Amino acid sequence: MMNRRAMLQGVLGAGAAGGTLLSDLNSQARAAEDTPIPVGSALPMSGLAAADGIEFKNGLTLAAEEINAAGGILGRPIELHIEDTKEMGADLVTQAMQRLIDRHSTPVIINGYNLGTNMAEMDVAADNDVIMMHYNTLISHNEKFKTDPDRYYGSFQGDPPEYWYGPGCLNFLKNLADTGQWKAPNKKIAIIPSANEYSIVIANAIRDKAKEYGFEVSLFETVPFPTNQWGPTLAKLRQDPPAAILVTHFLPQDLAQFMVQFLQQPTNSLVYMQYGPSLPAFREIGGANINGVLYSTVIGCLPDDYAKPFREAYRAKFGPTAAYLTGSQTYDGLWMWAIAAALAGGPGEPFNKEQVAKVAAAMRRNVYRGVNGTYRADPAGQSAYCYPTQVADPSLGMPHQFLQHQDYKTDAKLVAPALYATDSFVLPPWIK
Amino acid sequence: MTKLSTGKGISGSAKLDAVIALVLIAAAVTLPFMVESRYILGQIVLALFYATIASQWNLLFGFSGIFSLAQMAIFAFGGYATAMICFYFGLNVWAALVPGAIAAMVFSLVVGLACLRLTGVYVALLTLAIAQAMYLLIVTDTECFVMVGSICRQFTGGAVGFARFGDLGMRTLLKGQWLVGNYAIIATLFTVTMIFTYVVVKSPIGLAFRALKDDPAYAIARGVNRFQAQLLVFGISAFFTGLAGGFYAAHFQAIGPGVLSMSQLMFIIAITVVGGLGSFWGPLVGTIVLVLADELMREAGEFRTLGLGIIIALSIVLMPKGLVGRIGDLVRFLRRRSPRSAMGPQENAALTAK
Repeated sequence: MMNRRAMLQGVLGAGAAGGTLLSDLNSQARAAEDTPIPVGSALPMSGLAAADGIEFKNGLTLAAEEINAAGGILGRPIELHIEDTKEMGADLVTQAMQRLIDRHSTPVIINGYNLGTNMAEMDVAADNDVIMMHYNTLISHNEKFKTDPDRYYGSFQGDPPEYWYGPGCLNFLKNLADTGQWKAPNKKIAIIPSANEYSIVIANAIRDKAKEYGFEVSLFETVPFPTNQWGPTLAKLRQDPPAAILVTHFLPQDLAQFMVQFLQQPTNSLVYMQYGPSLPAFREIGGANINGVLYSTVIGCLPDDYAKPFREAYRAKFGPTAAYLTGSQTYDGLWMWAIAAALAGGPGEPFNKEQVAKVAAAMRRNVYRGVNGTYRADPAGQSAYCYPTQVADPSLGMPHQFLQHQDYKTDAKLVAPALYATDSFVLPPWIK
Repeated sequence: MTKLSTGKGISGSAKLDAVIALVLIAAAVTLPFMVESRYILGQIVLALFYATIASQWNLLFGFSGIFSLAQMAIFAFGGYATAMICFYFGLNVWAALVPGAIAAMVFSLVVGLACLRLTGVYVALLTLAIAQAMYLLIVTDTECFVMVGSICRQFTGGAVGFARFGDLGMRTLLKGQWLVGNYAIIATLFTVTMIFTYVVVKSPIGLAFRALKDDPAYAIARGVNRFQAQLLVFGISAFFTGLAGGFYAAHFQAIGPGVLSMSQLMFIIAITVVGGLGSFWGPLVGTIVLVLADELMREAGEFRTLGLGIIIALSIVLMPKGLVGRIGDLVRFLRRRSPRSAMGPQENAALTAK
């Protein structure tokens, strides 16, 4: 039997959550064969999201090495197969996934994010009876799952949907004002999405909930995707300065450019941005201009002791500037599936619905604490719960992390939620 | 490809085309029995979409000389119209396909009217601008039109597009073999499109298209009505392009602004150029070559795009008439070296025209 201490020691020793659990399962296993288990991943290895695609692959590589070091899944090692989804979209992503299944018989496909798919991935998983875990961070995953839970039993979203960014962000701003950490000059907020689903759903959620949190939307301007010409938008912001500028566009190079151009004539506004500031490119391009920028993520490696072995192993293997915040997503995804597959008695194979459904059931039943926080599948949508906006118990939801760049030479500081925070919020240098 | 028939019966060109068509149809029918991989069948379905769009762009530019860059916009219009009819009116996909294609045709006629006084590169600029405006109008549409569950949906679907509006019904009918059913439908669409295109190209109106392309002033002087001909070719090509857009949306159960991307348009142009501009079989040959090359270079990683670029560049430099044109040259060369060739003057004429 395994006790809590042994489990935690094993986890930290292996640098991965679930390490000992998997070893323990393996020690009891009588694997009938030791042929590798093919694990597929359809990632944007070229095109505009290639930087993230590489990190997603890194996360999978590290997890696969650790799982194999722990004895694999019931004695069978994992073998990774990657397909490039290039410019993404429904056709390219579904075809990439189908190729993984046809060519390698992958019982599972763990993707990072792919844009513009309209969650067509879920149909590939359903048609072939495979597990599909992804980090698209889309409420449309939940909506599609609800239409036919029996058909989409194998589709999991490894993080909360983007919808929760909206109320989460407003709640964060309100809390800053209520606790006196920030004195808002007015109640106005400016929302700047770019033309893509992720960005617009978040912007809409902020806009629709703004009144509930005591804010009024003074500007809602959609910019092209991608973009680095911020002049017209900045002119409008300077004409009617809001208390907070919320940019839901997410490409790091574009967001860094926003800060460079914003600081030429800043307004007394907090600047909150989406996702991009978590990537090294944001700091590299923006330099000192990014100090003070706030951002949040519903999925990202936590800066705690629990995730420390992972962070160190990741940078030791992939370089000092490697973005473990991104790689951590697929890293947790693979570990979570591996444990569930071991518990279910094996991963199964495509079209083996009976066995694959057992793995899916184990994934739904388990509460998994990874390096990104806690994954617990919301039965209504098969995505992670969001803490604290959706659930009040941090042991049952993935933390919606708010971070601030306080010194561009170092990693951003986690300033909320309070249970996870390592540092306090500081007023940005441009606010007088 | 100069004439459908002579006074003495069906020409050699038409005979050769008929033989090629029969061989291709036979291959298309046997294909699902030989291909077990869903991926390969899926790629073939995708290739059939490319070939359908390229064949209609070929009709527009290759045969009629109208350098329109709105081809993917018309394709998207058909797809969006089909999806929106299903989404907002709850119609079955099959019932929405033809109205979607007609909507694309009307859109194309409007584009055609706007281009009437323009020629060459100005047509390209205007049509590209229309396509880009369409893309921007869709992706910047953020106003909530209807709530679907907890999601706010824009009228045009916005940057998200449309999904879950229905499919071709093969999943229900054939269960696990649904892809074979979809393949049969898309292959039929392609066949019908090609037959209709052939008839148009060989008809008097097809001759008028080519006359306007080769020498507009002379064609008009001989009584060809440029206004009618240009609108007609915009309408005909748009119907099948829009229909393909509807089938594409139904096949993938999704349509989004991504289909309007420049890379998609460039791929269609590349297919036509590599296969042979102004050649009936060119778009099909170009599709086979480029899709195969893309597939074979899949393992080449970052060199894959470079490899495709080199193939396209070499095709343009070494084969200005495309692969079909080069094959014709090769056959003629071999015939000249073989005095006892059985090929008659009609076959020779047919190859020259291809």
